[in-house]
Amino acid sequence: MVKDEKLKLINEEGTRIDGRRPDELRPLKIEIGVLDKSDGSAYVELGKTKVFAAVFGPREVHPKHLALPDRAILNCRYHMASFSVDERKPLGMTRREIELSKVIREALESVVFLEEFPRTSIDVYIEVIQADGGTRTAGLTAASLALAEAGIPMADLVAAVAVGKIEGHLVLDLCDLEDKYGEADMPVAMAPRLNSIVLLQLNGRLAKEDFRRALEFAKKGITEIYQKQREALRKKYSGVSLMEV
Amino acid sequence: MPLYFSEREVVLPGQLLSDDDKRSGEGTYVLGNKVYAATVGFATIKNDKVCVIPFKSTYNPQPGDRVIGVVIDVKPNGFDVSLGRHLTATIRIPDKKEVQALNLKVGEVVYGTVKESGLRGVFLETGEKIKKVTSGLLVSMHPSKIPRLIGRRGSMINMIKKETGCDLLVGRNGFIVIKGPSPSNEFAALSAIRLIEREAHSQGLTERVENLVRSILGGESHGEG
Repeated sequence: MVKDEKLKLINEEGTRIDGRRPDELRPLKIEIGVLDKSDGSAYVELGKTKVFAAVFGPREVHPKHLALPDRAILNCRYHMASFSVDERKPLGMTRREIELSKVIREALESVVFLEEFPRTSIDVYIEVIQADGGTRTAGLTAASLALAEAGIPMADLVAAVAVGKIEGHLVLDLCDLEDKYGEADMPVAMAPRLNSIVLLQLNGRLAKEDFRRALEFAKKGITEIYQKQREALRKKYSGVSLMEV
Repeated sequence: MPLYFSEREVVLPGQLLSDDDKRSGEGTYVLGNKVYAATVGFATIKNDKVCVIPFKSTYNPQPGDRVIGVVIDVKPNGFDVSLGRHLTATIRIPDKKEVQALNLKVGEVVYGTVKESGLRGVFLETGEKIKKVTSGLLVSMHPSKIPRLIGRRGSMINMIKKETGCDLLVGRNGFIVIKGPSPSNEFAALSAIRLIEREAHSQGLTERVENLVRSILGGESHGEG
């Protein structure tokens, strides 16, 4: 791409660079129980963004002195595979990944009943296989499903989506280009049943009125994702009958 | 009081189950006088309480449970025993001589009964109720699938014992000791366990396990096949 060539992210009719309407999500695919060795796992594909999440535990805490006497600790690692982006990402945790691990951990901590498992740790691993914007939100969506599959008690599932502003238009579920060249990007995660926001970040600027509208946008997207999450869980357990539990 | 589910319905975390907060049972939580599901599982009513029977859950030791553990530490007044995963149980014996009499070493396997389980940890019964397992094949499976291995009134486990000629010690924590007349019999029992673990959710499993065991043992002595 030539640098000074003007990139048009959204046209006059409100169609975005990948042909979506402003309030349209990318195609969402959810699979549950994809990894054998984990206690719970999920795979989420949102357009070109592909994310795995695995949950281990409750298990022994390492190192031992980190254990808490009254509740479990939640360990979270958000990591992007080196081949997930155009230019090879070096192995190991970058500053960004460490920060995202922290915010994802805090989002999950607000729904998981950690006090049920004192002196243990619940480990959540989120691995981004292919990144095209919205990896933290897709990762969070996958992680909450993996936790549910692992049978860890939680108040609600967490669904997440990003909203943003590109060329003056509010849009839902930004892709990489829209994120990079747009004016604002705001990832939002919610526990929809509790109606509480568990993660909210904002890159760029939004006017007060825009922010309000963006949040409404996000809620709409989250409701849609939440529905898909529940469908996927239901489907996974549809053939099970009580005798076998 | 209205209920928002039908019996044995699959419910998901956060799903509203009841308006009566006094009926909150296992696998549920209360928020603002309402009962919600906390795990994925079947909603049901047990002793007038709304409960969710989880599909997969960690093992939560209950007094009286028979468990199998591996000794991980020998102390002057007892032993620490690993019950797999995150659980460690303690065997406390006040008499030093009794500790020595048991003659347990690190890495050896014991079959015991849970005496107490709580915030202070898990304790096993002492004396007669603790048995050293001297031989056999130690395998583990997910604790939530142990009831399926045992089957209704022991139908599954008895069938495996009969067909393979092996003796099976089953711990609720997910450890199993297989003791058989020959390695091939033990292998048949292990294959049966693995099949149960993989296909715990499906119907007609007892029959398929029986067929598997028979096909492995071929025309050998046990069973009719």
